[in-house]
Amino acid sequence: MKDFGFDGNCDKFPVGMAYVPWQQFDKICDNLEEGFRDGTIFPELNKPFTGRRCVKC
Amino acid sequence: MLSQEGMRMLNDISIVDFVLVDLSLYLDTHPFDQEAMEYFNHYVRIKNKMSRDFSMRFFPLTTDQAESKKEWRWGTAPLPWEGEC
Amino acid sequence: MWSYERRLQFPVNIKEPNAQLAQAIISQFGGPDGELAASMRYLSQKFATPYKEVAGLLNDIGTEELGHLEIIGAIVFQLTRNLCMEEIEKSGFDKYYVDHTLGIWPQAAGGIPFNACEFQSKGDIITDLFEDMAAEQKARSTYDNILRLVDDPDVCAPIRFLREREIVHFQRFGEADREDCSKSAIT
Repeated sequence: MKDFGFDGNCDKFPVGMAYVPWQQFDKICDNLEEGFRDGTIFPELNKPFTGRRCVKC
Repeated sequence: MLSQEGMRMLNDISIVDFVLVDLSLYLDTHPFDQEAMEYFNHYVRIKNKMSRDFSMRFFPLTTDQAESKKEWRWGTAPLPWEGEC
Repeated sequence: MWSYERRLQFPVNIKEPNAQLAQAIISQFGGPDGELAASMRYLSQKFATPYKEVAGLLNDIGTEELGHLEIIGAIVFQLTRNLCMEEIEKSGFDKYYVDHTLGIWPQAAGGIPFNACEFQSKGDIITDLFEDMAAEQKARSTYDNILRLVDDPDVCAPIRFLREREIVHFQRFGEADREDCSKSAIT
């Protein structure tokens, strides 16, 4: 499995709980119509389906 | 059936409103983000104007835009789930 | 309270009916990981939420999910519009047709009717938020499965949109949970 090399900071967090990193607002997408079709104006949250069929309509 | 121009205006309203929705959820969890608030304020003004213009020319999008004279404009407006096909 | 805006959040214009696909997609209307379940889950949980910001988020996402319910309803409606009897029989849609004709009724693809057992409102904000994060992942998974079954771009476009919304909602619930965990201790 690919190691994304996260610096393991989350291992210092208290155990017995789960954490989602805070989104840091950088910018919204340049092409708003494309953001609308993709389902988000935040490029870092855009995680499209890449399986078989309907990859890009 | 809505004209080409009406469809284009409705498409633009959908895009701007979507920006507002995505920004409002972000602001719900980041209530002090100034930059996001500025974007929101900018687009909310645009959306309100576009929505009013659309409802005057084509059909009301909300009941508060549905001032009517001879025919109940809200009731006779198209049903959005029927599509254009 | 709610007001209605007379447009779909994302347009649905399907040219080709497809009863078989409709039977799968109806799961996102009335199924356990579908939009109605999502909406009712969040709109129920909001009342017992101790923090205003989190209650506000539940309300906003619950409201958006009602709009998504409408999109899925429009997709199933347009996929089954004007079907001929031969198509209804051949596709296996006859079992649904006999009880609902071409009406839209909230059920899962396997036939289980929508019911409140499909969600929890535990009254514990940390529990509820993890329930919500799991719900968003289950919905995203269901959309992955639907995308594997679809090759019609008219259907693909709204489904891809709805799938991405689940990912964004997951992030927001996760952030709300970070807020709660920093304010409350589990006792």
